[in-house]
Amino acid sequence: MVLAAKNGEDARNGRRSRGPSPNGHVQTESSDDDSPVPTDKIRVGRDYQAVCPELTPENLRKPELLADRALLVWSPTTDIADSKLEDYILLAKDKYGYNGEQALGMLFWHKHDLDRAVLDLANFTPFPDEWSVEDKVLFEQAFQFHGKSFHRIRQMLPEKTIASLVKYYYSWKKIRSRTSQMDKQARKLTTPREDGTPSEAGSEGGSNDDSDHDEKKWTIHRGIRRKSDTPPRSGTSDENGNQGEGGACSNCGVNCTVTHVTPKGTLCTSCFQHWRRTGILRPTSGPTASKRGAPIGARHKRKPPRGMYINHDDLAAMASGSAGVLILKAMDRELEALHRQIQQNKQVVSSLKRKHSESLEDLRPTGDNSSRINSRWTNEELLLAVQGVRKYGKDFKSIAEVLGNKTEHHVRSFFVNYRKRYNLDTVLKDYEKDNGPVVIDDSVDEKVELDDSLDNNSSNDVICVSPTPPPPKKDFKNTKISIAQASK
Amino acid sequence: MAMQPHSKKRVCYYYDSDIGNYYYGQGHPMKPHRIRMTHNLLLNYGLYRKMEIYRPHKATAEEMTKFHSDDYIKFLRSIRPDNMSEYNKQMQRFNVGEDCPVFDGLYEFCQLSAGGSVAAAVKLNKQASEICINWGGGLHHAKKSEASGFCYVNDIVLGILELLKYHQRVLYIDIDVHHGDGVEEAFYTTDRVMTVSFHKYGEYFPGTGDLRDIGAGKGKYYAVNIPLRDGMDDESYESIFVPIISKVMETFQPSAVVLQCGADSLTGDRLGCFNLTVRGHGKCVEFVKKYNLPFMMVGGGGYTIRNVSRAWTYETSVALGVEIANELPYNDYFEYFGPDFKLHISPSNMANQNTPEYLEKIKTRLFENLRMLPHAPGVQVQAIPEDAIHEDSDNEDKVDKDERLPQKELDKRIAPENDFSDSEDEGEGGRRDQRSYKGRKRPRLEKGGDSKDGGLDDKSLKDELKSDKDDKEDLKSSIEDNKKEVGVAP
Repeated sequence: MVLAAKNGEDARNGRRSRGPSPNGHVQTESSDDDSPVPTDKIRVGRDYQAVCPELTPENLRKPELLADRALLVWSPTTDIADSKLEDYILLAKDKYGYNGEQALGMLFWHKHDLDRAVLDLANFTPFPDEWSVEDKVLFEQAFQFHGKSFHRIRQMLPEKTIASLVKYYYSWKKIRSRTSQMDKQARKLTTPREDGTPSEAGSEGGSNDDSDHDEKKWTIHRGIRRKSDTPPRSGTSDENGNQGEGGACSNCGVNCTVTHVTPKGTLCTSCFQHWRRTGILRPTSGPTASKRGAPIGARHKRKPPRGMYINHDDLAAMASGSAGVLILKAMDRELEALHRQIQQNKQVVSSLKRKHSESLEDLRPTGDNSSRINSRWTNEELLLAVQGVRKYGKDFKSIAEVLGNKTEHHVRSFFVNYRKRYNLDTVLKDYEKDNGPVVIDDSVDEKVELDDSLDNNSSNDVICVSPTPPPPKKDFKNTKISIAQASK
Repeated sequence: MAMQPHSKKRVCYYYDSDIGNYYYGQGHPMKPHRIRMTHNLLLNYGLYRKMEIYRPHKATAEEMTKFHSDDYIKFLRSIRPDNMSEYNKQMQRFNVGEDCPVFDGLYEFCQLSAGGSVAAAVKLNKQASEICINWGGGLHHAKKSEASGFCYVNDIVLGILELLKYHQRVLYIDIDVHHGDGVEEAFYTTDRVMTVSFHKYGEYFPGTGDLRDIGAGKGKYYAVNIPLRDGMDDESYESIFVPIISKVMETFQPSAVVLQCGADSLTGDRLGCFNLTVRGHGKCVEFVKKYNLPFMMVGGGGYTIRNVSRAWTYETSVALGVEIANELPYNDYFEYFGPDFKLHISPSNMANQNTPEYLEKIKTRLFENLRMLPHAPGVQVQAIPEDAIHEDSDNEDKVDKDERLPQKELDKRIAPENDFSDSEDEGEGGRRDQRSYKGRKRPRLEKGGDSKDGGLDDKSLKDELKSDKDDKEDLKSSIEDNKKEVGVAP
């Protein structure tokens, strides 16, 4: 089907040339005007051209009377600080399951009154996900039979519109099979958002491996956020309790970033929801808080990773239906928040990195400026030069490169001028001990110390040595690395 | 023309949340879902809250027939997958079926796409915004009475027609990998719209867009085509885009610009064959934005949808003048962007068949053409009092220097038999006076290679007008109220 459709289209439209177009067209094109006219042409005539409206004279224009012909659903505001807006959206997302657009829609409806919008959040619930577990399973089955023929799929799910099927398909298709490497790695941290539910249902009678995998998936929210570094939320309140900063849940003892202050103590989201809906504390039979930190010895294959454990009540709730769905939803939301956080952190890291490398760029030219040729010798440079002699002998060029702001000539005169003072001859001898005799340079206005016969041999030595002077920018590289590390 | 560096602009963005749910059919490369992906990315990048967001109205049949023929729109309105068999003949006539399949909600899809672009144009006319974006639009292949290349209703033409009510000259730029034939054809004989299209040419859809196609009649030299070869990279593209657009701006002096941002010119596109990166593609937006003219950005092609949404997200950020991180934020379709989850993409190693010499040659040829524009030599002298000149006098000014004068003037005085065709649909824009467009009545055979033929016979013309009248009655009933509630249900 795919191929057929493609071929038809290609044949008719000349989309054949997806690779390089090997044709005489290049010649036709660039040659003179008497070449054959292309077959496809712009047609001229009343049937083809648009009729342009006349220009409205300026004095007759009434732009304010023009109907917008569109519904404004959001307009930007400068009254609310970005961070506050961010917090508001996060709250709406994490606590009430809004999406960003709905949250902003609510705020806009309240004419950018943040407080009123926050209060109103609880009064509305976003459209419930009308896709039940059965629907999802049915869809999957239908998809296997019919592929992307949504008409046929619809015959199995008659109460769904095509639009709804298409929408679900797109949200489902990428998480259906996690094949890429990245996804495999991500699986350690993530769970398929949409198909979590059906596979959960299916795993009841499934193999051990399956259930193991599922356990991991849905217990992952426990205690994974040890260090709560999510941005602090503004203490917002609703009729049920305050949302506080991260901390340990007083009921199940789990550390989490979002806790809810209630008369029963601070609760994690799961416990909080259980309490809010049932009025009683969520019974926990999982490990207690004190147990949690204890090292798990030889990790059993089926045990969840460190820091996670299975809450048996959750398991029971899962099996018994509706409560399980709620738990899953809360977990999904939590996961999403984690994902968001991860990406946000990555963005921060990369922006920091960029900033550092930019400021490094700023530093670089100034470094170069200071290394502009200067014939005056500072003490430091003198010491460096002596060490240079020790390392490179009379290869003045290399020494000059190391120093950065001296020419070969400067180093040469340094050698002559400071020969006595720094006892350069001994230094040179040390060098010769390691590297063999030194080249004689004719232009040095001093006496030749070595035989001409040695000259040729030693020049070879020098050639061996000189090509590898340490690059003068080595220091900068090091700082760059350390800064990059610091930014992490 | 005054260019200013980056500045914060008032940006309006048009989007309907239903648009992603339309599905062309199995195996069809056009996926409206990419618009939703773009939207979601914008939202999660925090760009959404920096713009005015509009949900466009559904364009009515009446609005769409400002360009399209009545029977074509009537056909689009009535055809459905389940009654296709009754329309065999019309499907053939209107080229619907293969490339442009009949799918569920086809007409609504066209309404939303067109509605966005029309609303965007109105917004610009009101001067209530500097930049308007409609990623659901940009369907540049659609013809007056014919679907083509996945496009049914030409929202761009409709938008430009709206702009022409308040703007004497509108510039249309097309950076889709395919030639923008629908728009070019619609404005082939007018000098009020210049169409500039950069596209792959040679054995490639739609087959038009030769360097020598330059417009006809009054519109001669007002169509600019830049035929390109496979493998255009960022550098080459900029080397041709910047000088040509600069020259066009200088000589044509538009008062509004429409940019079609077809993303199939990106590297790795399913149908395209260029090698542009998101950055290179976005540079075009950046460059056009600098002219500070009322600016409309529409979507277009783009068949590797993850890259499409990357590009359009980036271009939205460029329009806003906001920098966004290379790391994508988490979003509903995050998995689509693996394995790197980055905004920017790298070019492939494909060979660039556009040599600098080739590009230089094209450039020279096009500059020669642009020099022929009437007001090119004395732009400054002929200072155009911003849109104020009455059209007739404007024409007379121009034709004085124009060899085509006698023909045009004669045409003008011929009894305007087609005047009544538009006399009924007044609407808010006075479209009654058609005199200045008589040029197209008798297509000229001009020297210079554009031997366009296809004059029109008056018979078919009268037929069309008749059916126009008949159809108008039932079309009027189709005005729809599409005010919907904001996405939160009580």
